Amino acid sequence: MTSGLSAALAIAKKDILTQFRKRFEVFSMFLFALIAVLAFSFAVVTGGAVPQEIGSALLWVIIFFTGMFGFAPIFLSESETGTLRGLATAPIPAWSVYLGKVIYGFFLMALVEIFLVPIIMVLFGFSLLNDAPLALATLLVGTLDLAAVGSMASALTMPSESKATVFPLVYFPTATSALMLLIEITKIIVLGPGLVPVLLIFEILLAHLIAMLTLSASVFHFALSP
Amino acid sequence: MNLKVKLLVTIAVETNELTRRYGYRVALRKVTLNFSKSGIQGLFGSNGAGKTTLMRVISTLLRPHGGFISVMGFDPQEEPEEVKKRIGLVGDKPLLYEELSGLENLRFYSKLYGLQAEFFDSQVEDLAKRFAINTWLEEPVKNLSTGLKKRLDIVRSLLHNPELLLLDEPFSGLDKDTTEDFWEYLNEYRNSRTTIVTTHNLAFGAALCDEYVTLRKGVVVGQGPIAEFDQTL
Repeated sequence: MTSGLSAALAIAKKDILTQFRKRFEVFSMFLFALIAVLAFSFAVVTGGAVPQEIGSALLWVIIFFTGMFGFAPIFLSESETGTLRGLATAPIPAWSVYLGKVIYGFFLMALVEIFLVPIIMVLFGFSLLNDAPLALATLLVGTLDLAAVGSMASALTMPSESKATVFPLVYFPTATSALMLLIEITKIIVLGPGLVPVLLIFEILLAHLIAMLTLSASVFHFALSP
Repeated sequence: MNLKVKLLVTIAVETNELTRRYGYRVALRKVTLNFSKSGIQGLFGSNGAGKTTLMRVISTLLRPHGGFISVMGFDPQEEPEEVKKRIGLVGDKPLLYEELSGLENLRFYSKLYGLQAEFFDSQVEDLAKRFAINTWLEEPVKNLSTGLKKRLDIVRSLLHNPELLLLDEPFSGLDKDTTEDFWEYLNEYRNSRTTIVTTHNLAFGAALCDEYVTLRKGVVVGQGPIAEFDQTL
């Protein structure tokens, strides 16, 4: 019997390999992100920079919506092709399937962000380098949080007949609290540290991530065998 | 040996008043049946009889809404992993990833089942040769014909050498050669493995199986040795 963690890694690796071969989701994500960045840079940038207060909001709103293109098909493709039954009948804990998908979602989003964040920083004329370690930690935790919520939303959407409508209905309200925290932390990093206790907000973000992961993992068997 | 222990030894699947609904529609209505351990067990019935639903409950894919079920001595709700490591499932759709090659698919499933590399290699070599897919293993699944995909899916289901093989309409869409190969394989393991086969082709099922259960509209209307099977029911 394989351990849950190694099963999760095998599932993530399989999804990443599949994604590199078909490239559909990652291409859609890049395309949407690029169009959104260009549209905002034309609309909002004046004098080479966006107003510093809204730059962080634009960054995370773009990441938030870009995630939809990657997270929504995470379980839907398995459900439509029937391969989800292969995962559901394998002798692995249900949470490992969920964790594997979260790792895959995180990888997908991180791949886009590696290109997206520098482009945004250049075109929007703001910097996250005031506190680079915290900025990096915020991007990592924030992306993982969105992947955790997005994966669960995708799983909950599976039985629905109107998947395209139901996914945002689950994803938006669940991820919005994390989105607010991410915008707030990033704003503090951009404006300069020390204005408010940023670490406290970061801890709330971490708690949100842990709550999402543990709650979703603990009820995930209901999604696999209804 | 007490009665309970005896049941565990001789019965692969046991249900008592098993009920499963889809919304208001009852797919299985108080189904009580036994499938013996070893041999090929037939689950017969026309479309909509509840065969696939029962197979899904046995394989832990669906939860029952009432009644009792035991698979290889374990409760699929309480000990799903014990059930899952003992079963192999072949359904109407191959459980394969189109973008991956046959070998990548098999290797992925071997990791989920925690198979040792040496065991995996010997299983793939043996099964791929037997089902004549050894020259197709490097090919992406999306390039394979329906028959080759089915062969690969059968190999996938047998990789971990399951004690209980669940075959849901396994011969639909299969060509003559694959059907014969699979039939021969099932016969070879008739006494050492339990196989449950669903089919709506009664003549075919009668020729293959040792025992049978017939479902109609979610209700058991007959069960027993295949010699007692009446195709007119």
